[in-house]
Amino acid sequence: MMKVQYVSPFAEAAVSVFEMLVGLTPERGQLAARPQLFTTQQVNIVCGITGPVEGLVIYGTSMNSALKIASKMIGMPVTQFDQLVASAIGELGNMITGNSASLLAAQGFGCDITPPTIIRGTNVKITTVDIPALVIPLNLKELGTFEVNVSLQERKKIAA
Amino acid sequence: MAKRILITDDALFMRVTLKNILTQNGYEVVGEAANGVESVELYKQLKPDVVTMDITMPEMDGLQALKEIRSMDPNASIVMCTAMGQKNMVLEAIQAGAKDFIVKPFQPDRVLEAISKLAA
Repeated sequence: MMKVQYVSPFAEAAVSVFEMLVGLTPERGQLAARPQLFTTQQVNIVCGITGPVEGLVIYGTSMNSALKIASKMIGMPVTQFDQLVASAIGELGNMITGNSASLLAAQGFGCDITPPTIIRGTNVKITTVDIPALVIPLNLKELGTFEVNVSLQERKKIAA
Repeated sequence: MAKRILITDDALFMRVTLKNILTQNGYEVVGEAANGVESVELYKQLKPDVVTMDITMPEMDGLQALKEIRSMDPNASIVMCTAMGQKNMVLEAIQAGAKDFIVKPFQPDRVLEAISKLAA
């Protein structure tokens, strides 16, 4: 079972990044477990974590919400998922993951993160080494919902 | 004369945001690099007054680029600007000669404060 202690930093970081970036405090929904990492969202940001705790985090939201969030970040309304919007949404994932990594480091798990990858399209199933996923939905009020899917495990120690 | 800044970030959105903040406040953005390799190359060509440097980037990360630029020019003024705010990252960057460390997301004033101290 994946430890909840790895997930709370992501929820905490996501809330503070949204507060700073778009000026609203998301409400945390009910934590749910999934046997595997998958997403049914239209816009997904995938970030890798390496170090003593390793795995993947996927942030998922609807196209409509992604455009609303990007509009706030860019400071003007956007209606097309173009290169600048993709970059803003990717950077949102990078900021949440980076801030989460700082919180994980404070718990003694100093990790590095990879640059974000954006996957568009629903029903994306990502196969990793059977790490179950924990999902936290965030209610962004007028901006919609934003899901944080965390699939991390402690790195297996190699026997000497 | 306006102080000359080189922006380094793999995200187009961040480069646009930083460029807007800086140009609206009287700085000249002389170059934009999307990774560490480009940043080192542009530093040689442009000799900017200040460099902003992301850390998590493809090709060459910002800590490596910081070290390469500082070894070419020990007086280079480099401000880290990254989502990775953990203590060991800050320490490594400062020990390698970074002048300031800004954690994303930031307020525009935080960037201007850092740059104005260096470009005075």
